[in-house]
Amino acid sequence: MPTGLLRFLLRRVASALVLVFVVSSSALVLLRLAPGDAISGFDVDPVQAARERERLGLDRPLLAQYASWLGRAVRLDFGESLKYRRPVGDLVRDRALNTLVLGVAALALATLLGVPAGVLTATRHGVIRAAARGISLLLLSLPPLVTSFGLLIVAASTGWLPVGGFGIVGGWSDATAVRYLILPALALALPLAASIERLQSQAMTRALEEPCVHAARARGCSPERAIWRHAFPLSLGPVISIYGVMVGTVLSGSFAVELVTSWPGLGALMYEALVARDLYLAAGCATVGAALLAAGVFLADVALALLDPRVAGTA
Amino acid sequence: MTARAAAWVLASALALMAASGRLVDSPPPERQHPDYVYAPPMPLRVRDDGGWRAPFVYPVRLVDRLERRYVVDRATPVDVRWFAKGTLLSLASGDGAPWFVLGTDTLGRDVFARLLRGARFSLGVAALAAATALLIGTAAGAAAGFVRGPLDAILMRTADFILALPAIYVVLTLRAALPLVLTSGQVFWVMVLVFAGAGWPLVARGVRGVVLTEAAREYAESARAIGASRTRILLRHLLPATRGLLLTHATLLVPAFILAEATLSFAGLGFGEPVPSWGLMLQDASRGRALVEAPWLLTPALAIATVVLLLNVAGRTRRTPDRPWLSRS
Amino acid sequence: MLVAAAVAVALYVGWSRVDRAGSPAGAGAADSRPSRGGQLVASLRTEPPTYNRYSPAGAVAATEIVSLLTQAKLVRVNRATDELEPWLASEWTAAADGRAYTLRLREGVVFSDGQPFSSADVLFSLRAAYDPVVNSPLRAALLVRGRPLEVSAPDSHVVVVSFPEPFAPGLRLLDHLPILPRHRLGGALEAGTFNNQWLPSGALSDLAGLGPFVLVEHAAGQRLVFDRNPHYFRRDARGLQLPYLDRLIVALAPDQSTETLRLEAGEVDLLANGEIRPQDYAALKARAAEGSIALLDVGIGLDPDFLSFNLRSARQADPRAAWLLRKEFRQAIACGVDRDAIVNTVYLGAAVPLHGPISPGNRTWFSEAAPKHPYDPGRARQLLTGLGLTDRDGDGMLEDARGIPARFSIVTQAGHIRERVAAVIQEQVRQHGIGVDIAALDPGGIFQRWSAGDYDAIYFGLQASSTDPAMNPELWLSSGAFHFWNPRQSTPATDWEARVDALMAEQATARDLAARQRAFAEVQRILGEELPSIYFVAPRVTIATSRRVANPITAAQVPQLLWSADTLAVRR
Repeated sequence: MPTGLLRFLLRRVASALVLVFVVSSSALVLLRLAPGDAISGFDVDPVQAARERERLGLDRPLLAQYASWLGRAVRLDFGESLKYRRPVGDLVRDRALNTLVLGVAALALATLLGVPAGVLTATRHGVIRAAARGISLLLLSLPPLVTSFGLLIVAASTGWLPVGGFGIVGGWSDATAVRYLILPALALALPLAASIERLQSQAMTRALEEPCVHAARARGCSPERAIWRHAFPLSLGPVISIYGVMVGTVLSGSFAVELVTSWPGLGALMYEALVARDLYLAAGCATVGAALLAAGVFLADVALALLDPRVAGTA
Repeated sequence: MTARAAAWVLASALALMAASGRLVDSPPPERQHPDYVYAPPMPLRVRDDGGWRAPFVYPVRLVDRLERRYVVDRATPVDVRWFAKGTLLSLASGDGAPWFVLGTDTLGRDVFARLLRGARFSLGVAALAAATALLIGTAAGAAAGFVRGPLDAILMRTADFILALPAIYVVLTLRAALPLVLTSGQVFWVMVLVFAGAGWPLVARGVRGVVLTEAAREYAESARAIGASRTRILLRHLLPATRGLLLTHATLLVPAFILAEATLSFAGLGFGEPVPSWGLMLQDASRGRALVEAPWLLTPALAIATVVLLLNVAGRTRRTPDRPWLSRS
Repeated sequence: MLVAAAVAVALYVGWSRVDRAGSPAGAGAADSRPSRGGQLVASLRTEPPTYNRYSPAGAVAATEIVSLLTQAKLVRVNRATDELEPWLASEWTAAADGRAYTLRLREGVVFSDGQPFSSADVLFSLRAAYDPVVNSPLRAALLVRGRPLEVSAPDSHVVVVSFPEPFAPGLRLLDHLPILPRHRLGGALEAGTFNNQWLPSGALSDLAGLGPFVLVEHAAGQRLVFDRNPHYFRRDARGLQLPYLDRLIVALAPDQSTETLRLEAGEVDLLANGEIRPQDYAALKARAAEGSIALLDVGIGLDPDFLSFNLRSARQADPRAAWLLRKEFRQAIACGVDRDAIVNTVYLGAAVPLHGPISPGNRTWFSEAAPKHPYDPGRARQLLTGLGLTDRDGDGMLEDARGIPARFSIVTQAGHIRERVAAVIQEQVRQHGIGVDIAALDPGGIFQRWSAGDYDAIYFGLQASSTDPAMNPELWLSSGAFHFWNPRQSTPATDWEARVDALMAEQATARDLAARQRAFAEVQRILGEELPSIYFVAPRVTIATSRRVANPITAAQVPQLLWSADTLAVRR
C-alpha cells in the first residue's frame, strides 16, 4: 500500500473518532439544556420527581454530569435509559443492527433506482426522460412523512405488504421477517433515489462533454459503449462523493421512516428518547449513530480515493 | 420562444399571482367553513351533459359529515363571471356560496387561497435560505478544496459535524431559548438562519469535490504553468466548473427547505396557525389519509415540484450541446 | 432492468402474504357464548418503565395496563355500569356509622406462582401504598382528606377497613389498590428497595399476581406478551375458568395513525386507548361495511379538554392583567366561540357542545342547571367593550386604553386534535377582534410552561381516575396539584375558590347522594360563572375492533375494552 494512501486512511480514522466524540457530547449537552426532563410530567409529584432526579444523578451540574458520563462512555457503558429502565447498551445494540440492515437496503435500492434513472435522464429525450424526471421531482417535493404514509396506506388497503408488524411478530426470530423490511426500505430509498437521479444526471451531462468521450465517439465507439465505458466512470466521482453525505441523510431520514413504518431501529429509538427527554439513551443513540455515520463517510472517502488517487495524495 | 424564456414568463406570472392573490374570488385563506370540511375541488367546466357551454361550476353539497361525503350538484350549474368583484373570475350565484377551486382542508379552509398566500412565506424563506447556504457553501468548499491543508480539514470536519448533528436537538434548544410566541417576521429570519446553517455543508462538500478534481486537470495545471495567479485560477477556471453543481444543489435545497419548514412548524419553531405556509399545509395532509381520500390536500407538493421544475429550466445557463448520437430510439 | 426486477420481487413477496389475519367471520356468528382459547393483539402507545404500579415511575398508562392484566383488586368499580362489584373480596358489611367495613376474602385464591393469597397480602399492599420511602403515586387516591385508612386483619380471610371520617364513595376507594404478593416483595419493602423491584432490567419470573394474565415477554418499544394465568380465580356464569384468551399480545405503536393502519390491515385487533379519530371514521366505516372491522359507540367522552387561563397571582404584573385576568374577558371568549363550529369542523359532528367541566356522559354528576354560554357575538362584543377593549387604530383588532393589542397566546399539544380545536378558537375570536397566538408544543414542553406558570392560556385535557369528583381532590381543591389555573394554593386565592373547597368537602362526606349532587351542582354553577377554565365540546367516542374480538364489554373511560380483559374472547 502506498504511504500516501495509508496516511490518508489514518487521518480519516482519527477524524471519524473526533466526529463520534463531538456528536455524542453535544447530544448530551444540548439535550440537557433543552427544556423538561424524563422525570417531570402532569402526573408526577414534584417531590417524587426531585428524588428521582437525585437518584439518577440528573440534579448535578452539567459539567459534573457530563464528565461522569464521558468516563463511563469510554468504557462503552452508556448508563441506564430513564424511559425503559434498561441499560442503554443493550437497547442500542439491537436497534443499531436493524437500522444498519434498513440503511444498507435503502442505499442499495436507491442506487439501483437512482443511478440508471440519472443516466437515462441525461442521455435520452422524450417521454421516458420526462416521466423519470417528473417522478423524481415529485418525490423531492413530498415530505418523507407523506411518502411513508402514502406507502403505508397503499399497503394497508391492498394487503400487499405488512404495515410494520416487525415488532409484533417478535423480530428476526420470525421466518418471514424480511417482508417487513420492504416497506421502510422503499420509503427511505425513494427520496434518496430522486436525489441520486438528479446528481447522476447532472454528472453524466458534464461527463458527456468531456474530450475523452468525444474522442471515443470519433474513434467509432458505439453510443452504448461511449456512455457506459467512457462517460459513466467519469460521472461516478461526484456521485460517490455524495455517498458520505447520503449516509447522514439515511440516518436522519430513518428518524421519520422508522417511526411511521414502526421499524424498530436506532432512529425510532432516538426519537422516543428525544420525546421522553431520555438523556442517556439519546446520547447513546447519538454516539452509535455518529459511529455509523463516521464509518459510512470513511467508506465513501476510501472509495473516492481508490477511484481517484489524486484525492488521497494531498488530503 | 425557447423553453427557458417560457419558464421565466411562467415564473413571473406565478409570482404575480402569489403577490396579488386576486385571480379567483376565493374566500380569505384563514376563513373556516364548518359545512365544507374536506370539500372536494370545484373545477371550472366548459362541458355539461348537453355539450359545450360558457364556463361554469357545479356546486358541492355535504351529504354525510362524519363520512365526509359530498355530492356534486349537477342540477344547478353556476355560471362564472369575468372581471366582477375585483377578480378575474367569480361565481354568478346569488346565494354567495363560496367557490373552492382546489377544495378545502381539514378545517374547511380554501386550499387555493392558502396555496397563493403560502407561496409568499414558503418561497421567501426557502429562496433566501438556499441563496445563503449556496454562498456560504461555495466559499467554504472552494477555500477547502483550493487551499487544502489544515483549513480543509477544519472546514470539512465542521461540515460532517453539522450534517451528523441531529437537527431536532438544535431546534428543541432553540425553542427553549426563544420567546414562546414569535411574530411571523421573527419566524422568517430564524428559519432562514437555521436552514442556511444546516444546508451549507452539503454544498461545500460538492464544491470541494469539483475544485479538487478540476484543479488536477490539464487546463488548470497549464494555467498554473503559464503563471496565472492562484486567485485567478480559482475565480476564472475552477469556480465556473461548479456552476452546474450549484444549480443542482439549488434545486435540491429549495424543496428540502420548504419541507423543513413543515418539520420546524411541528416542533413549534416554524410558522404557526393560521399562516398558510406550504410546509404547514403538507404537514396537515400527512396526518390524515390525504393520499387516498383527499388528494387535493397534496397540491402544495405539486406547487413545490412546479417551482423546482421552473428553477431547473429557467436556471439553465447554456443550451445543451448537440449530441445527435444520443437520441437513438 | 434491475429496477423492474426489484419491483417485481417486492410485489411477489408482498403478494405471497395475502392471508390476512383479520379476515371477516362468517355471516352466522350466532354463537354468543364465548369460548376459551386463541390470542388477540392489542395496541398501546406508551412503554412501561416498571411493572410495579406502586412505584413513582409506575404512574403511566402502560404500567396501569400491565397492572390491570396481571393484578387484581379487593373490589372493582364496573366501568360499564359504574357499580361496585365483589372481586377478591366476595362480600362486605358496613358498620352503622358508615366509616368501617368488614370484607370477607375469597377462599382458595392463589397467586400466579402458586402461593396462597390471604389478608396479609392486603395489609402489605396498603402498607406499601402509604410507605413514605416508596412515595407511591397511589397514595393520594387512598387518603381521605389527607388521612390514611386504618386496616386490620382479624383472621387470614377477613379484613376490616376504617375511614378516618365519613367518606361518601366508601369502598370505591379500594378500586385503586391492586393487591401485591407479600411473599415476593415483603423483604424489599423492609429493605427500602421496593421501587427497584419489578423493573424491565430484572427477570420477568420475579413477577407474581392475582390477575388474569402473566407477563412472559417484553421487547422494549415493540411488544409485551401476556399468557393466561392458570391460577386465576374468576369463572364465568357457566363455570368456565377465565380468562377466555390463551394469550394477549400488546403491540407498542409510536402513534395513532400507525395504530389505525395496523387495525385496518388486521395486524392488531383492538386499541388499548380505543377512541378513533374523527378523520379516520370514514375509512374504518368502509372496512366495517366489508365486515373486517366492528365499530362500537361507547357514548360521550368523560374527560373533556378545556381552555384554562393562567390565574396565578404573579400574573397581576402582566401589562394586560387589567383585562386578561377578568372573568368578563373569559365570559366573552365563552360566548364568542361557536361551539357548533368546533363540533362540525374538528370532530366532523361526532361531539356535543359542552359548557362546564362535567360531561353529560357522566350521568350521576352532570348538572343540567349549570350556566350555559350559547354563541352570542353581540354579547361578546359588549363584554369586551365593557373591559375597555375597542378598535382604536382601525385595524379591525381591539386595543386597550393604553394601546396594547387584545392578544394572548394558547399553549397546546402539537399534532393532537387539541391543536386543531385551538385553531378554530383562534379563528372564532379573531372575528371579535381578539388576537390569539398558538404555541403548539410537545407534552414535556407544555408541562414545563405550565409548572413554571409561563403562559397565558393552555388548551389541554386531564384524565380523571374516577367519575366521582370526591375521588379527584387534586383537581377540585384549591390546594390540589392539578388545580389547573392556580395549583397548590396555601389558602384559597379568591372567595369563590374557598366556596368550592367547602362545597367539595360537603360533596365528599354527605351520606345522601341527592345532597352530594346538590353540592356539586353548586360547584358547577360557580365554575360556570367564573370560568377559570372554559369548556367547549365533549367528543362522542367510537371504538373500533377487528371482527376477531368477541364478547367486548365497553366503557366510556380509558381503557375502554381492556378494563375487562378476562372476558375478552376470540370469535370462532
